[in-house]
Amino acid sequence: MRARYPEREGFVDRDGVEVHFEVYGDGEPTLFLIPPSPITHSRIWKGLIPHLARHYRVVTFDGRGNGGSGRPGEPDAHSQEANLGDLVAVLDASDTPKAVVVAHCHASWWAVALATAHPERVEALVAIEPGVPYLGRPQPHWVETAPHWDEVLDDPKGWELNNRHSYVTRHRDWVEFFFGEQLVEPHSTKQFEDAVDWALESSGEVLAAGEEGFEIGVPERDTAMAWYRSLNLPTLTIHGELDVCQHVERGREFARITGGDLLVVEGAGHLTPAREPVEVNRAIRHFVDELKGVSMPGQSWARGMSRRKKALFLSSPIGLGHARRDLSVAQELRKIEPDLEIEWLAQHPVTTVLAEAGETIHPASEWLASESGHIASEAAGHELHCFQALRRMDEILVANFMVFQEVVEEGHYDLVIGDEAWDVDYYWHENPELKRGANVWLTDFVGYLPMPDGGDHEAFLTADYNAEMIEHIARFPRIRDRAIFVGNPDDIYPAAFGPDLPKIRDWTEDHFSFSGYITGFEAPTPGQVEEWRHDLGYDSEEKVCIVTVGGSGVGRALLEKVIAAYPLAQELVPELRMVAVTGPRIEPESLPAHPGLEVRGYVGDLYRHLAVSDLAVVQGGLTTTMELTAAQRPFLYFPLINHFEQNFHVRHRLDQYGAGRAMDYRSTDPDLMAEAMTSEVGREVRYRHVETDGAERAARMISELI
Amino acid sequence: MRAAEPDRAGHVERAGVRLGYEVFGHGDLTILLLPTWTIIHCRFWKMQVPYLARRYQVITYDGPGNGRSDRVTDPTLYGAESYAADAMAVLDACDVERAVVVGLSMGGQYATRIAALHPERVLGVALIGPAMSLADPDPDRAGIFDKVHQPYPEDPQGWDKYNLAYWHDHYQDFAEFFFGQVFSERHSTKPIEDAVGWALEGGPAMLEAEEARPEPEVPDTEIFTKIDCPVLVIHGTKDRIQPHRVGEEAARLSQGTLVSMKGSGHMPNVRDPVKVNLVLRDFVERLGR
Repeated sequence: MRARYPEREGFVDRDGVEVHFEVYGDGEPTLFLIPPSPITHSRIWKGLIPHLARHYRVVTFDGRGNGGSGRPGEPDAHSQEANLGDLVAVLDASDTPKAVVVAHCHASWWAVALATAHPERVEALVAIEPGVPYLGRPQPHWVETAPHWDEVLDDPKGWELNNRHSYVTRHRDWVEFFFGEQLVEPHSTKQFEDAVDWALESSGEVLAAGEEGFEIGVPERDTAMAWYRSLNLPTLTIHGELDVCQHVERGREFARITGGDLLVVEGAGHLTPAREPVEVNRAIRHFVDELKGVSMPGQSWARGMSRRKKALFLSSPIGLGHARRDLSVAQELRKIEPDLEIEWLAQHPVTTVLAEAGETIHPASEWLASESGHIASEAAGHELHCFQALRRMDEILVANFMVFQEVVEEGHYDLVIGDEAWDVDYYWHENPELKRGANVWLTDFVGYLPMPDGGDHEAFLTADYNAEMIEHIARFPRIRDRAIFVGNPDDIYPAAFGPDLPKIRDWTEDHFSFSGYITGFEAPTPGQVEEWRHDLGYDSEEKVCIVTVGGSGVGRALLEKVIAAYPLAQELVPELRMVAVTGPRIEPESLPAHPGLEVRGYVGDLYRHLAVSDLAVVQGGLTTTMELTAAQRPFLYFPLINHFEQNFHVRHRLDQYGAGRAMDYRSTDPDLMAEAMTSEVGREVRYRHVETDGAERAARMISELI
Repeated sequence: MRAAEPDRAGHVERAGVRLGYEVFGHGDLTILLLPTWTIIHCRFWKMQVPYLARRYQVITYDGPGNGRSDRVTDPTLYGAESYAADAMAVLDACDVERAVVVGLSMGGQYATRIAALHPERVLGVALIGPAMSLADPDPDRAGIFDKVHQPYPEDPQGWDKYNLAYWHDHYQDFAEFFFGQVFSERHSTKPIEDAVGWALEGGPAMLEAEEARPEPEVPDTEIFTKIDCPVLVIHGTKDRIQPHRVGEEAARLSQGTLVSMKGSGHMPNVRDPVKVNLVLRDFVERLGR
């Protein structure tokens, strides 16, 4: 799922080549984002669009040869004139008289051509890693390989792949080599995958035609230099210092010759919009606001000592479990610090729970891109590849971080508490100068683990992500003022972070405090069970089986499997009553009906039903299974396929408690399901006791920072 | 030792009065930091000068009656228009065509007259806790100007001390009281000591002359209709001299920007210098574009 979708999309026909464009937001001025084509398309702006469109109007498009645009194969169709014509046509079609143009790599040259031919349409220019002819010095590998462009080389390697024949016959090899060279920053696997995927949406033939066409129409050196000099508009050049496509000297000269601003990003390569989205977002925002000459905004500033204590709580919306545990931590925290004001930056469905509890939800919450929607979109059947889903959430995390950062810069919070607030943790480590307030990191698992089906590559990826996290914390220990593991050391999965990386438990014990588990509710005493059952409408004779699948879209598959087994189980246990809870995303009427089976969309205080059930059938999520553990109920749990957290971390933790019976979704047929249900239902269980003071312990650790 | 010594210092004579000025820094933009009530002199800008002078040219000067300026007692020299003429003389002496003009308290009255009478010399105006007749005073200060010429009570309390006779008899005690009110923030011993020390360099005769100054030609409620440049107002919510609503009104009438300083008193430039410096810089940067 994207972090933001365009308000308007369209195509403009350019002599038979369709050009696809998108329009976002309605602010002032319009920013026109030009991708370099055909090597890539408009999606390279995915880290910038959500932020910029919140403040300005954004128009972007796919250059000819890639994305949603046509794929002309003739070099002539990729000339300067053709590309310049596309820019004008998109400005016209999107009703944009004038724009601040933002261009990457060689698209910067087209932007210069646009500003030269149509100065009235360009208000200012942001050139990112600009590929502008004659300036600076070209990278030697371009110069060395150019003479061999038309040759057929015998087994070309590396930069030798830069010729027509290799583009056509070994398109992927070239693209992978090229972006591998460009992403000089460690831990760039996701950016690499994206760049390669987008490049491969085009073809080798079109890429070669684009390369040849680029030269058509570029004027002689003197003319080009005259164009640069007569650009009578504000410019900002952003350039990665280690860029191996466009030498940074080229960006420096462009900034000098246009008399504009220059931002050199040290340690960065050719793809700063993808690899340094936060800094690039902020630089563009600053530049555009200066252009607007926005009059000084009024403000209210409180003397430090006049301020009330304030915390901003971020509660992960992935799985509703966090909402209740975070609420209980907040309640305990208020007992220790009665004057503490807590504001929540959270999104649906967490906000529903918070609003019911009378909590204060920060209005910027509505700007957040939906993480739970993304997770739902990644799920299918009884499967959620949780690690890949998190990786593919990258643009949502940047978008939401930018919202968060604006909130903390204005809010003067003493404290930020992030319960698995991945965006804050990641981007404050990547941009440590942006940290505001003391920072608490809460999580219930540490370490990405590869699923066996993912093979060596997934093992490489999870290790790379773990290594980046370990390096973050080693380099900037000041970012997490307190890291709290919601659990105990024994709960930590006994594995290493990856080859040559520390053991997860050793490292976590060195870097975390342990609060014990936080259920967020009090389980009934044995004496209360009957009372609760009575309140909920369950009599003591019947055997109540609750089936629940949580709030995300995954769940139908398991519900259907359990319901199919219900008649079989009912034959063996006639007093079996089943309550299946579908959650908000599944229509109860869409499931089969049986006597003795109730299918309900929503059950208030579901934890109370679970706590007095005779059996529960659930997925492998931590919150629900631990509620059942705390309440000493028998249960069957089915970890989602390819969900590393449910298959490794949660299962290991439940094993520590001796709780639940783990089931494999794929190999469970209705007979096995019925057998498991009938043997478990009403069984007397003795799990290890779950602590009840977790929230208080976590609150105490947090309160030390205020 | 001062944090920044002036690059140039001198005197300019206007209307027969010698006014001491100082120039710091070399930036393209000039900031003119105005004098305020003559009870203190230009050292009250000491927390701003070193910071601002790293980026801009900064000019401070003493008004009549204190600091390095003549101790004069002619009331006409203390009128708002007279202060405006002083400021022009200082800018001329420093060869400065245009400046951002910053005034604190009564300096707000002077700054607005400068902007209204000499618009071509002013890039923008910043008013800090402006003392202007734009809103009712707080109850404890109501009517103090009416009683200033009367004998003071036997056991004067609080604003009873705002009294000519009392100033002559107990000048230091008045200064200590007054700056205790100015610095309503806790833990302000050093700012109070500084200000009382500066007050002792002047004297009651000058306060008496200023008390008798002519009313401004254009009342405060109308002066903003004559000002076109951008206006910034910085005002503390715990200002016991000029209530926050005066600043709100100044911002409203000028269509300017209001920066509210929650918990700050009458001289946030001294007590919250970092924030005030940053706000001034932000204001000046935008003007410089």
